[in-house]
Parts: sequence; structure tokens; C-alpha cells
Amino acid sequence: MVALTSYLIVSAALLGIGVYGLSVKKNAMRILFAVEIIVNAANLNFAAFTRYMNPPSVSGQVIVFYSIAAAAMEACVGLALILVAFRLNSTIDVRKLNKLKG
Amino acid sequence: MALITVPPDITFIVLAAVAIIGSIMALQAKELIYGAISLAISFIGIAGFYVFLDAPYLAMLQIAIYVGAVVVLILFTIMLVRREETDEMVDRPEGGEGAIGLWLAGLLSVGIAGVAALAGPNLPNAPPPGNLPVSELGPVLAVEYPIPLIILALLLSAALLGALVLAKVEK
Repeated sequence: MVALTSYLIVSAALLGIGVYGLSVKKNAMRILFAVEIIVNAANLNFAAFTRYMNPPSVSGQVIVFYSIAAAAMEACVGLALILVAFRLNSTIDVRKLNKLKG
Repeated sequence: MALITVPPDITFIVLAAVAIIGSIMALQAKELIYGAISLAISFIGIAGFYVFLDAPYLAMLQIAIYVGAVVVLILFTIMLVRREETDEMVDRPEGGEGAIGLWLAGLLSVGIAGVAALAGPNLPNAPPPGNLPVSELGPVLAVEYPIPLIILALLLSAALLGALVLAKVEK
């Protein structure tokens, strides 16, 4: 059978990929992709831990349910922000969106 | 009665490869559209993990919300914000940025994976038998966590209104 550690390692790899995307990418859409990947890594951890619990429990699944809903909201608002930024600046390159800089 | 007789290890490796390669391609694909499709494939890999972890309800949610709603929303937004320059913006890191990002991500993930591997002997090697059915989820959701459910509903409507107000075209 598959050990719990394997899930944790896959989740850590997904987190690393997401952090790389967050810190390096310039396109706002790619940054949104990276955030979604990190949220999925966290959800995978919750689902794995709750399956390996003894006695069995579904609390982790409920937390993932909430997390998926929150991530859908976050994507919705983030995409609206990207649309506004594109309308105002004609670009979604985050290095050029620096009007708030003093 | 097992419909699938593939050994679990091979299933796990295939799912992990789909999820990890899908997310790498989502960030590194040249066209943004291909990146969004790779992201959908990566999410389907995670849904496979949920099936593998005996959480079919989560797998259904993952496919319905992430692959069905979020990725389609992302695809529409990409089509709205598409310009020649954003298309040609290959998004390669300049100078030392890529190396710094790689170091940061590598240290973080190797550190967490190392802690998980060190704790390995104390963690269970196989899931305990006798998983709870999907019907257990409803009582837990409604009896143990009713307040978060209500807050989530309020938050959902607030986010929806906020997104509408943000994206509205002002005359």
C-alpha cells in the first residue's frame, strides 16, 4: 500500500512549483495559476491526513470542501482584478503595474 | 470486488506524474491557453488522488468546480486580455531571478519533504480499513461545522458581488 509520506512528498513538490511560479513569473495570469497550485497542494494534504486517521474521520474532507469554495471565490475576484488592471493599463505584466509605487 | 486490478503503487506514481508535470507545464508552457489546459490536467490528477483516497465527493467537487468552473473562467479571461505583446511575453526570468526562485522553492519543498521523510517511520504505512461512506459527510457538515457553512455562504455572495462591481464598465 501507499504510505502517508508519499502524499506529503507529492504535496511538497506541488508547493515548491507554486512558490517558484509566485516568485519568478511576471504575467498576472501565471501568478494566479501558481496560487491555485499551492491551494491544491494544501487540499491534497488534508485529504491524505484524514484518510489515514484512526479511528476514521471525515473532518478533513469537510475542510477541503470549504477550501475549494474559498479558492473558487479567490479565482473569481482575482480574475476580475486582472480584467480591471488590463482595462486601465493595457497590460497584465506585474512589473509594469507599479502606479502605487511612490 | 475490484474493478481495477492495477497495483496501487503504479496508480500513485501515474497520478503524481500527471499532477506534477501538469503544474510545471501550466507555469512553463509558451502559450497562456496551453498553460490553462495543463492546469486543468493537473487538477484532474489531483481529483484522481481524491478517488484513490476514498473521497469520491471531493473528486466530484474538484472536477466540477476547478476543472469545470475555474479553468473555464480563466480561459475566458485569457481570451479577453489577449494582446500580441502578452502572447509573445514568454515570461522567462531575467538575470538572477530564476536562480533565486528555484533556490527558494527548492529549499522549501526539500525541507518539507525531508521532514515528512524523517517522520516516515512514525506515520502509518497503509490506510486503516473501514473507510466512512460519503453519507457521513452531511451530518459532519451540518452538525459539527454549521457556523463556517453560513459564513461561507455570506462570503460567496460577497465575493460574487465584489467581482461584479470590480469588473463593471463605468460609463
